[in-house]
Amino acid sequence: MIAFFAAWEASCRLFGIREFILPAPSAIWGATVAVWPTVLGHTWATFLTAMGGFVASVVISLPLAMLIAASPTISAAVYPLLVVTQSIPKVALAPILIIALGANEVPRIIVTFLVAFFPLVVGAVAGLLATPPELVELGRACRAGKVQELLRIRLPFAVPFVFGGLKVAAALAVVGAVVAEFVGADAGLGYLIQTSMSFFRPSLAYGAVVILALMGIVMFWAVELVERVFFPWSSGAGQPALGA
Amino acid sequence: MIRLDRVGKTFRGRDGGAVEALREVSLEVAAGEFVAIVGASGCGKSTLLRLVAGLVPASAGAVTLDGAVVRGPRAETAMVFQAPTLLPWADVLRNVTFPLRLMRRADARTEDEARALLAVAGLAGFEKRLPRELSGGMQQRVAICRALLQAPRVLLMDEPFGALDALTREEMSLELLRLWTARRMAVLFVTHSIPEAVLLADRVVVMSPRPGRVVDVVEVGLPRPRSFDQEGSDEFQRCARRIRAHIFGGRGGTGDGARAA
Ligand SMILES: Nc1ncnc2c1ncn2[C@@H]1O[C@H](COP(=O)(O)OP(=O)(O)O)[C@@H](O)[C@H]1O
Ligand SMILES: [Mg+2]
Repeated sequence: MIAFFAAWEASCRLFGIREFILPAPSAIWGATVAVWPTVLGHTWATFLTAMGGFVASVVISLPLAMLIAASPTISAAVYPLLVVTQSIPKVALAPILIIALGANEVPRIIVTFLVAFFPLVVGAVAGLLATPPELVELGRACRAGKVQELLRIRLPFAVPFVFGGLKVAAALAVVGAVVAEFVGADAGLGYLIQTSMSFFRPSLAYGAVVILALMGIVMFWAVELVERVFFPWSSGAGQPALGA
Repeated sequence: MIRLDRVGKTFRGRDGGAVEALREVSLEVAAGEFVAIVGASGCGKSTLLRLVAGLVPASAGAVTLDGAVVRGPRAETAMVFQAPTLLPWADVLRNVTFPLRLMRRADARTEDEARALLAVAGLAGFEKRLPRELSGGMQQRVAICRALLQAPRVLLMDEPFGALDALTREEMSLELLRLWTARRMAVLFVTHSIPEAVLLADRVVVMSPRPGRVVDVVEVGLPRPRSFDQEGSDEFQRCARRIRAHIFGGRGGTGDGARAA
């Protein structure tokens, strides 16, 4: 990491690469620190949008996954729709949503949600359906109904899969927030990137990009931390062992 | 207590083909009796247990428990599968109490009873471990404790020791006999091992494949308590030879071939 930044700095100086092509790390640092309170405000705005979209993804994806896993009919009806939401470019959708819903936080959170939720649904459905038939039969032998089977056997089994989806969703939520901010926002790192580029301050734009990368990493780690603390059996062995 | 009256089971395949897993199987098991089922794989032993467990419906005939037709899983029946089938997310104690909690039959004493059972099974101190931290033999003991904690009147065991090494297997058979002697429930015990069947059971049901039928029921006259020393006795040899003759019938198999599970 350090070597990477050192090489970056050195090549910028040695080859005299101009700032608007690739600014040196020192220039990025300087430009970012100079307006630190502003940058912090934009970071916070982006973080709120990303978190909002992430939470919406969790709240909507998990029940949706359970419905899909519970019934082939629902699955056949809903899955194509989900795939459609994935093939629409979110950049194209964002302005439409903003016109429809107004220039506030709601359309940004919807865009973030649309970018982030899909891998979570897919992961959760995969986990719910990957539950070994022996465990399901154990539940039936204990006279569990369909709902009990879903909540007491399939859902806990799916936890490692859900966390796989959550990690991807956490990283994508940052991407989604920036996409939304590009289109319609007066705050946020996406907005900062746009304005600083139009005012010919590429170093500040690069600074925002670096902060975005860090935010993605931190959110990913936070999910991993939650998994390790609250679901230690999920993170430890990779694949849940069913025994001999 | 358990009664199968000319039970047949045919599975419909997805491609429309049908597999006749069982045909005209009649069998009675008294309360507290230990019955072993042996037969080549594919002769419908697991299907037979799942019929008694109420996990699959019969296609013909009837399975009754105390005179009542079995229509679904019942509280007085417990099952031990070939694999331990433990919940990977729950510790040993919560695995053992899982069926009772699921059936809302757990009460204040459940946990103490579970601990006592685990201690008998040599698992004291492992209550808070996760299944993946235990050996295969220990996991299977947890599965057996889980079944016994339900205080079943019918215990169904489908090759419960099939995945264990020979030494663990002998040790666990004797442990099972001790537990059964103390609690006296009806046991239906599926195994591949002829010596194991003879050593454990009051009667050994011999099945043959395609379609699965009962070809013989061998009464084992060995006195209890049983031990592996009895393997040398005439009665043991007589039973084992008779079972082997059915299974290897025309093929003239001899010796220890059937011992390998
Ligand atoms: N759910 C099922 N669907 C279709 N065929 C099955 C099913 N369960 C068992 N069978 C068939 O029934 C026969 C008996 O199977 P099983 O009872 O598992 O035998 P065993 O336990 O003696 O090895 C086999 O031919 C098997 O393929
Ligand atoms: Mg079987």
